[in-house]
Amino acid sequence: MAAALTLLRSRLCDPTYIHAPFKSSKQSNYSKLKELVSGTISDSCNNSALLLGPRGSGKVAIVDLVLEDLKAENPDSISVVRLNGLLHSDDTCALKEIARQLCLEHQLSFSKMASSDDNSQFMIDMLRECGLAHRSLIFVLVEFDLFVQGKQRLLYCLIDAMQTVTSQAVVIGVSCREDADQLLEKRVRSRFSHTKLLFAPPSREDMKSLVEHILYLPKNAGLPSEYITKFNAHVQNILNDKRFKQILDSLLCVDGTIGNLVQYLFRVVSSINLESGLLSLENFKNAQISCERQPTIETLQDASILELYILVCMNRLESKEQNSYNFNSIMKEYKSIHDAYRTSDNYGDTVCLRAFEHLLERELISYVDHRGRYLPVEFRPVELLISSHELYLGLKSNSSCPAILQKLLDHESFK
Amino acid sequence: MAGVENAPQTPARRITRSLSATPSKPPHGTSNPPPPATPTAAPSWSDDLALPQETVSLDDLFALLPGRRSQILELLRVIGPPNSPMLPALLCGGPSTGKTSTVLHVFRHLRRRFVYTSCRSCYCPRILFETVLNQLLRHTKKRENGYSSAKKCDKASDFVYMLGDALVQAKSAIRGEKKKSCSKEGQHDGNSEMVYLIFDNVELIRSWDKGSTILPLLFRIPDLLKIPDVGLIYISRAMPATYYTMTGSLEPVYIHFTDYTLADLQCMLMRNQVNEKLYSSFLSVVLKPFYRVTRRVDELAIALKPLFKKYCEPLKDLKLVPDEGMKRRLFDYLQPHLTASLNEIFEIPPWASVEAKNEGISSKRGNIRKSWGKDVYNELDIHMPISAKYLLISGFLASRNPATLDASLFDSTGGSSNSKRKRKSIKTSLDKQEDIAEEILMKGPGSFPLERLLAIYQCITSVMECAAEDHEDGIQPEGLSVHLMSDVLLQLSTLCNANFICKSNSCPLEGSARYRSTIDEDMALKVARSINFPLSKYIYRR
Repeated sequence: MAAALTLLRSRLCDPTYIHAPFKSSKQSNYSKLKELVSGTISDSCNNSALLLGPRGSGKVAIVDLVLEDLKAENPDSISVVRLNGLLHSDDTCALKEIARQLCLEHQLSFSKMASSDDNSQFMIDMLRECGLAHRSLIFVLVEFDLFVQGKQRLLYCLIDAMQTVTSQAVVIGVSCREDADQLLEKRVRSRFSHTKLLFAPPSREDMKSLVEHILYLPKNAGLPSEYITKFNAHVQNILNDKRFKQILDSLLCVDGTIGNLVQYLFRVVSSINLESGLLSLENFKNAQISCERQPTIETLQDASILELYILVCMNRLESKEQNSYNFNSIMKEYKSIHDAYRTSDNYGDTVCLRAFEHLLERELISYVDHRGRYLPVEFRPVELLISSHELYLGLKSNSSCPAILQKLLDHESFK
Repeated sequence: MAGVENAPQTPARRITRSLSATPSKPPHGTSNPPPPATPTAAPSWSDDLALPQETVSLDDLFALLPGRRSQILELLRVIGPPNSPMLPALLCGGPSTGKTSTVLHVFRHLRRRFVYTSCRSCYCPRILFETVLNQLLRHTKKRENGYSSAKKCDKASDFVYMLGDALVQAKSAIRGEKKKSCSKEGQHDGNSEMVYLIFDNVELIRSWDKGSTILPLLFRIPDLLKIPDVGLIYISRAMPATYYTMTGSLEPVYIHFTDYTLADLQCMLMRNQVNEKLYSSFLSVVLKPFYRVTRRVDELAIALKPLFKKYCEPLKDLKLVPDEGMKRRLFDYLQPHLTASLNEIFEIPPWASVEAKNEGISSKRGNIRKSWGKDVYNELDIHMPISAKYLLISGFLASRNPATLDASLFDSTGGSSNSKRKRKSIKTSLDKQEDIAEEILMKGPGSFPLERLLAIYQCITSVMECAAEDHEDGIQPEGLSVHLMSDVLLQLSTLCNANFICKSNSCPLEGSARYRSTIDEDMALKVARSINFPLSKYIYRR
């Protein structure tokens, strides 16, 4: 059964497989983008487009699919240059990378020592040459918003060259920022075509068919056919279950992107029962629970009781609207609580300081600023990083939390 | 035991690893086994790409890592069967919850190839990149190659490019290896083998220079590489929410490592104990109160060790199995120490003094000291010249006392004669007491210009001179050359470097540097005692 599991997992880890069903529909971004690029190739002109959408909506996967298909259709007239904003947002670096990829594609020798000017000249020459040879250059700029930082010399250089030289090039920008085109400088924006493809989260029906597409085992995978029919029947049962629909709805309410669904399904598939090799509704439920966990509350559950005391003290100080406080004022509050209620948890300053440092390490609290870096820890102003409601939930779910602490918190915030 | 023994030498993370990693090994002797020079059970992580020889069964794994059962199972599920790709995973949990050791042992159990890099030891992007590449290319730094890395890699773009190359190379090497073994064993599987990249202490990257670009890069390596058979595992102390970026990010599969529960802690601390019955009765008394303060194994192990020694003191035979009556007797004996040590559980004695204590332990045995952890600290354990001590004290005074009181405190006639006048001047400002106290609490030690420090320095040294002449003991305290020399300034810069006094931001109007003393009162008193300086007379009390 491991083979089936491996198959499902490799499907989930392969974005091109996941997005393949969008090929068939006419309305999808895939068709639009393909039309745009193939039109540019056949008309031998220049074009540019922006693909915008939240992370995990499959922008890059769509680009990959389109380019793969186009390459298969006309293998000799396309060469692709891929840049990533995370890696090549620096102009010199980006130009070098363009030159490197162009050299690789056209079997030229790439010189590492070439200067930035040489590289940009090389790029313009290549654009011209490719234009003459009726070869389209496609530039894919992933994380487009990061190329926009700074002087945008690269973008200007690229787009300006496209306009002045008789070239055939397509610039495809991919970004998570919907306002990516607004970030462009005027001289760049005026030369940039305003084609934008927006990636909206798919509808529920699409999502469901996507789940089917991912989870059904194929007939020809070399698995025993009895097992395949059994597995698929199981999956079908689950997918038709009302509870599954509820789970899917609540999942997509939070984050409707395909990436989120894929992550969820990955959890489902990885928790598959290895003995029977079949998925059950339990798997789906458990995966939902683990997807919806709240790390803050869990961290609060990990805190020791003294640490919880300090957190409650800080919360009290904050609700007293004391605008800035540090360890010493927390200790004053802690002592006053102890004086008032005679709790058993009265510890010395050093112990509390260490607990305080633990909280800093857990990142439940933090220093307000980095200015007083040379000040001793006790004097640096701090703030809570969790809301009082989170603290309330955390205290409630912590089984070992003393009742007095909850009371102290309640008195302050839930009167 | 071994992990606890070398505790003072090694940083906390190492302790937890060896503590949880040492399989129950019979201790050498009852008293003090010699601390091992290297952490005992740390396998050679350097050659991770080579498969480990010995196999660890799943049950061994659970026994090795108590309290981590659910996490191990979850991790195993996420990693999946051999040769199946995985989405990146993020393991989160507080310090000393066994994240690193769980991952490493799980991989030893699975016998998969992995590359482990900690962002703590690889403290900048270049070292991080090169370490990963070195491990992939099986390159070791040695004298022959001038301790250089396999590839020079400084930029993120180069790294991703080289990483792709290195992975392909590593895989072909693995395949070659496999072919050899396959021809022997006659088995064959078609898929290429997964290589896992493990990044530890990812949270530290946030404080790096270029952390804001490296972090999204690390989390997006699978997208950038586009090589399916690479698994990525990140280990972090910080919660996943702290890695969110402006433009959003795909969350890795998240596995939470909870802190150990009471039962887990008991199980872990019971390991490698000579007399298990005795120790469990000790833990039943001690663990609960300590558990309220901290849940970290490493700290608990350190805190409990001297306490257990105390607990055993009335016993003649350590192999004894305690009965109820003896338990009660031992508890009564421990009670006073317990409350005292709860308030100073975190004192880690300096290594030298521990050794000294071990030698002199027989002579000291028997007399109950109230704060037995602290007596090491009563004498100053730093050596510095007399003038530096004076300087430290004057810095402390300048930081704590308001500048307006300097004139009344340090009269040239000497400290003791004008005490009445001093009292008066303090009383005048009594009404403002509350406000100032609050302010001091918030602001911390005040800053002072160099001139004031030197003036106070001159005053207190001259006072000491007077006192010495009054006594007419004939024994002149050393360092009475009160003449301001460059020497004093030199001492000041030494103190600055040692972080006893720090330079704070200079005054914008005057432009001269201002200083601030960072030592606390205990420390100042200790220093004062060592030179017989009546410090308490000069501290302005509110």
